[in-house]
Amino acid sequence: MGPDQLTIAGRQFASRLLVGTGKFASPQAMAQALDASGAEIVTVALRRVDIDNPESAAGGLAAIDRDRVQLLPNTSGARTAEEAVRLARLARAATGIEWVKLEVTPDPYYLLPDPIETLRAAETLVAEGFVVLPYINADPVLAKRLEDCGTATVMPLGSPIGSNQGIQTRATLEIIIEQSNVPVVVDAGLGLPSHAAEAMEMGADAVLVNTAIATADDPLAMATAFKLAVEAGRTAYLAGPRAATRLAQASSPLTGFLHD
Amino acid sequence: MKSLTVNGVRRPFAAEAMPATLAELLDALGATAGTVVAEVDGAIVGPEQFATTPLADEQNIELIRFMGGG
Repeated sequence: MGPDQLTIAGRQFASRLLVGTGKFASPQAMAQALDASGAEIVTVALRRVDIDNPESAAGGLAAIDRDRVQLLPNTSGARTAEEAVRLARLARAATGIEWVKLEVTPDPYYLLPDPIETLRAAETLVAEGFVVLPYINADPVLAKRLEDCGTATVMPLGSPIGSNQGIQTRATLEIIIEQSNVPVVVDAGLGLPSHAAEAMEMGADAVLVNTAIATADDPLAMATAFKLAVEAGRTAYLAGPRAATRLAQASSPLTGFLHD
Repeated sequence: MKSLTVNGVRRPFAAEAMPATLAELLDALGATAGTVVAEVDGAIVGPEQFATTPLADEQNIELIRFMGGG
């Protein structure tokens, strides 16, 4: 048996922790956290250049080693399929990167993904040759529809983006993991390393974390903690965990002592 | 007087100062071309085409770049 690797669209990764680059206090903090996380897939956003301060937003991203790290442009900010497709095409034109984290979130309060617009955009982008990683609610039927249309993964949410609520979608996530033939990346809402470990123990193929690392007091240390948690959860999953039971199951032998 | 609309803001240019290409516009704005992608009247233009993409009066330009995001 070879090393346990994550394979997305034919590319292999040793790390099962994907990291987002938003909300870091400084380019240095981001670079240190990315390094500590061991992440080999890193998301970025596209925004208008600030004309009055045109170099302001570029900080840190140029330093990412694109030979080692797969940059994953997202379509954040898109409210419709058309906007998401436009952003994906812009990202490809800017960099030649054909990978895209597809997210269509018309609602500004919960940032929940629009399933219909997401599927429409996925159909267009897959047809145009993109490697599509769609951010979705934990809807097993939608996950299947996206897989059937040719997406490279599905990325169901644990809870709303940036909410740190952990996995609130466990029952339907389990169905997605059971049924999926493409990697399942649990994205959004993972606020603690234990949340990431929980997703991996359930059999998720990977997790994506941004806010919990970027906004910690010490992003480098939190990135390290998430790295260890993802490894622990994956190792536990592969080790074959036993199910919970209602009654006690003695872990010491109950025979051959005192009463016998 | 000529003008371009750049990222939603109309910018007037004296006729002789009007950028002839996208590359000249980026120079005028002080933006590094390498990390920017453009739309000219809705058509995507990658950075390798900036120097050869002519600009005309009253065009609508969007300049976009990567930034941190999740």
